[in-house]
Amino acid sequence: MQATATGNATGNATGTTVDMLVDVAGLGAYGPGGEAVAALAVAAVIGTLMLTNTALAGPWAKRKITAAFTDRIAVNRVGPFGLLIIVADAVRLLSKELIVPEGVDRPAWDLAPLVIASSALLGFAVIPFGSGLQLADPETGLAYVFAVASIASLGLIMAGYASNNKYSFMGGLRAIAQNLAYEIPLVITGASVVLFTGSLQMSEIVAAQTAPLFELGPVAIPSWYAFVNPFAFVLFLVANMAEIGRNPFDIPEAPTEIVAGYQTEYSSVYFVLVYLGEFIHIFLGGAIITTVFLGGPAGPVLPGIVWFMVKIWGIFLLTQWARSAIPRVRIDQLISIGWKGMLVLSFANLVLTAVIVGVIAG
Amino acid sequence: MSLEEPEPDDALAAVGETDEGLDYDALAALLGDRLLDREQHVNAEGFVVRPDLSCLTAQQYGDRYESIYHLRKYDEPTHELSVVVPSPTDDPHNESANPVYRTADWHEREAYDLVGIEYEDHPDLRRILLPETWQGHPLSGDFDGEEPQIVTLREHANPLQEDHRGDDADTMFVNIGPHHPATHGVLHIKTVLDGEQIADLEPDIGYLHRCEEQMCEQGTYRHQIMPYPDRWDYISAGILNEWAYARAAEDLADIDVPKYAQVVRTMSAELCRIAAHMLAAGTFALDVIGDFTATFMYAVQQREQVQNILEDLTGQRLMFNYLRLGGVAWDIPEPRDEFFEKIRDYLDDLPENVAEFHNLLTSNEILQIRTVDTGVLPPEEARSYGATGPVARGSGIDYDLRRDDPYGYYPELDWDVVTEPGCDNFARLLVRLREVEESARIIEQCVDLLEDWPEDEREIQSNVPRTLRPDPDTEIYRAVEAAKGELGIYIRSDGTDKPARFKIRSPCFSNLQTLPVMSEGEYVPDMIASLGSLDIVLGEVDR
Amino acid sequence: MIGILKSMATTMKHALDGNTFTVEYPEDEPEVSPRFRGVHKFSQERCIWCRQCENVCPNDTIQIVTDDQRNGEQYNLHIGQCIYCRLCEEVCPVDAIILTQNFEWTADTKDEFALDKEQLKNVPWYKDIDPLESREPDRGSWVGEGEGEVDYQ
Repeated sequence: MQATATGNATGNATGTTVDMLVDVAGLGAYGPGGEAVAALAVAAVIGTLMLTNTALAGPWAKRKITAAFTDRIAVNRVGPFGLLIIVADAVRLLSKELIVPEGVDRPAWDLAPLVIASSALLGFAVIPFGSGLQLADPETGLAYVFAVASIASLGLIMAGYASNNKYSFMGGLRAIAQNLAYEIPLVITGASVVLFTGSLQMSEIVAAQTAPLFELGPVAIPSWYAFVNPFAFVLFLVANMAEIGRNPFDIPEAPTEIVAGYQTEYSSVYFVLVYLGEFIHIFLGGAIITTVFLGGPAGPVLPGIVWFMVKIWGIFLLTQWARSAIPRVRIDQLISIGWKGMLVLSFANLVLTAVIVGVIAG
Repeated sequence: MSLEEPEPDDALAAVGETDEGLDYDALAALLGDRLLDREQHVNAEGFVVRPDLSCLTAQQYGDRYESIYHLRKYDEPTHELSVVVPSPTDDPHNESANPVYRTADWHEREAYDLVGIEYEDHPDLRRILLPETWQGHPLSGDFDGEEPQIVTLREHANPLQEDHRGDDADTMFVNIGPHHPATHGVLHIKTVLDGEQIADLEPDIGYLHRCEEQMCEQGTYRHQIMPYPDRWDYISAGILNEWAYARAAEDLADIDVPKYAQVVRTMSAELCRIAAHMLAAGTFALDVIGDFTATFMYAVQQREQVQNILEDLTGQRLMFNYLRLGGVAWDIPEPRDEFFEKIRDYLDDLPENVAEFHNLLTSNEILQIRTVDTGVLPPEEARSYGATGPVARGSGIDYDLRRDDPYGYYPELDWDVVTEPGCDNFARLLVRLREVEESARIIEQCVDLLEDWPEDEREIQSNVPRTLRPDPDTEIYRAVEAAKGELGIYIRSDGTDKPARFKIRSPCFSNLQTLPVMSEGEYVPDMIASLGSLDIVLGEVDR
Repeated sequence: MIGILKSMATTMKHALDGNTFTVEYPEDEPEVSPRFRGVHKFSQERCIWCRQCENVCPNDTIQIVTDDQRNGEQYNLHIGQCIYCRLCEEVCPVDAIILTQNFEWTADTKDEFALDKEQLKNVPWYKDIDPLESREPDRGSWVGEGEGEVDYQ
């Protein structure tokens, strides 16, 4: 199933943005050094893009969305639509005192926020944003995303353990138990998609979803895997909710039970990093779902990158919607849902997909 | 041990008193059917009556201390019995009632703490409301309130002292509270965790103790006590609390309340109940669903509308001070039609809004797996701990003072007592939501009555003397069905215009005692949910 | 599963109907009931220094100082200590002390809440609502003796 680049999707024909930049700016002449410079430049663009999204989501969009669900008005006084609250919040958070509790285990305590925030950012390296924006496109793209995203678990346990706080500790343990239980269904469900595509390469996965599935009058429904295999899509959505720790699976933080879980003791800049890491994680989850199930940046009329953003914001909205209505499950229920339900279902899905793909291919 | 009826009738008070002491057979005859068995104790003969302990009042007279056990039956609340246990001033010792009634545990601790009576064989006789380092017993006669409480820092027991693990222990001690997102106020729960499960749990209260009983003893009956009940259960249940005081004081001083005022009281009290139950459902949702739930905000919206109505009626949104002895402070605001219209509008929308809560909460499968069969409180335990209100009714105990010990205008109205047999967190939530609907029924009938009330018979207050001085040594215990359960007031007068002893039987205080029964062996999240389903207000627990 | 979807539909319904329950205070001022009890207003001209308000006050918020002829000298009221029970207004035979609807009162220190009789006289009416009219209609003759707007003095 060798795909060719069509539409807005970034394919092998043009290569990654780094290659493009190397060609255009003539950096190739400087050898590997030139490529590194180009890679850094693209990484800066992608990093800035995602941080902007997060800044928009954290202090502003989240408030607005929650307010809409609860019949309130929310931020509207600072700047147009209250947008300058982002600046105000940044100043507020960064000017707070960094309180280092007695007995914290340094440097693990200092490193944890960095690990949490950066691991999620790393995942964006292989995501095709559309309009030609993609930092790298290794053959193991999907495996790489899952791998770096789960580094965050390391950050959570570091934060939970090093804080020298029982609530943090419980939060850290809960996070690990939860991530272990849901990482496997997540990856297995992702693998069922790979069976269709035959490749782990992100650009391949996107390209494989461009063919029309069937015609519905004048509208051609593309063969997004969400339409091809809706069961896998729902499984992946649920496992992703647990992976990023959002309702009904927000038990590592569970404010009414264990105060704030692993982030209880963090303040000021460290808190910003932890918080940022969470939001980037939500967006990374959204980006993976978009790429794997929603055709990546594909979409009519508008440029690919716009479609991509619309889709990941859609996923973000879904997490907030779930948050307003779905009760949090208990940790033992979560684990049993994960091991007894999700795992079985995801394997069933994998086997079924394998059989179907085998029959079609055969 | 002597036995007295709560209202010592002249004819009854003397029963059994003979020259040689007490005639136990005469006392037994007085008890009649209520007597189950007779026992021989060290210094007196005992009677086994075994209703359920509602309240314990301790007080000091000139020559003796007294512990009064107010007993009443769950099945027949008008069968009341007060057991007075005197003890000498120089050595106040009583036998603990703890083996018979589990609720005596905290009640006796409180009596020890505030009055200074010691109870033998009490499993854990420590101070409960005041700090452990407190000197003296503030409600006892010889307590000098002017004397500063000087306790060096070193002597202060550090509540976090136990916060360390033994070398070989596999449990973890966690302080949940006093500042914690889910403790609904300043409650401290000493928790021993075995993994995520609760091995041992002890609520530690008293952080919000404001000397309410003593404050009421400083106020005159006529006016000065009434503002304070609003501040016990401050979750918009003000008028229900005021009614507890009004009922006790009116019965004590023999004041009649005009019918019209009774209807207004009934209506406003049920409005308060709706507001209080809405907040209870909302905070329960907050505890179970998570901190960004929309349900809480919808519940607050409902409560807000009730508060607007109450503001029009009483002039305040929480601290109403609306009831007066012998009636209410104000008639329905003019124009009356507009006010009734406002209530009707609210009641018309209420079924739809309650249905919304059922959509959000009770029909949600995740909420069901979270709450069904968690926080189980068996009916026997609930009785033994003196649980009342929605907590008891959620355990299938058919006990509601509005029907069983009628007051106000409730007997004339058509409504039902809600019970749920589930005994779990889910049942308690259901009881509250269904009670909101029952309250709406009561309010609707009251509004109908008030609308058609002849204009010249709208008497809002009866004629009450400006200063009340009940006869010396009259005692009374009266309770009403407040938002959280049986709110009882004991008053003893000494002939002045202020009560000599004012005791508040707070429903939350008794209900909170059941938390260990509900939570031990369960998970932390279930304990939080149980705490939410108890719907405690620390202002009323600590008083 | 149906129940979960019903819950989500309920919150989405609220999100989409566009109604907000909260208001943009202070631009959008709340309706205050005529009976609402806010900061006190005192009239020295009416006061007969009978001290009934001082006596009835449940927590000694009102302090009255008179000379030996029982002429009033001071009338102090600590509005931070007051519990707004309205008993002083209820007991006053001449409506010298009343509670306005004014609920907006701030100060930097606790002491600034201790008002003397001059400050109490100058407490502004809230939106020119005269509380007496709604509370005790038959005492209305005491109000509105002056010209035009509510003139309490």
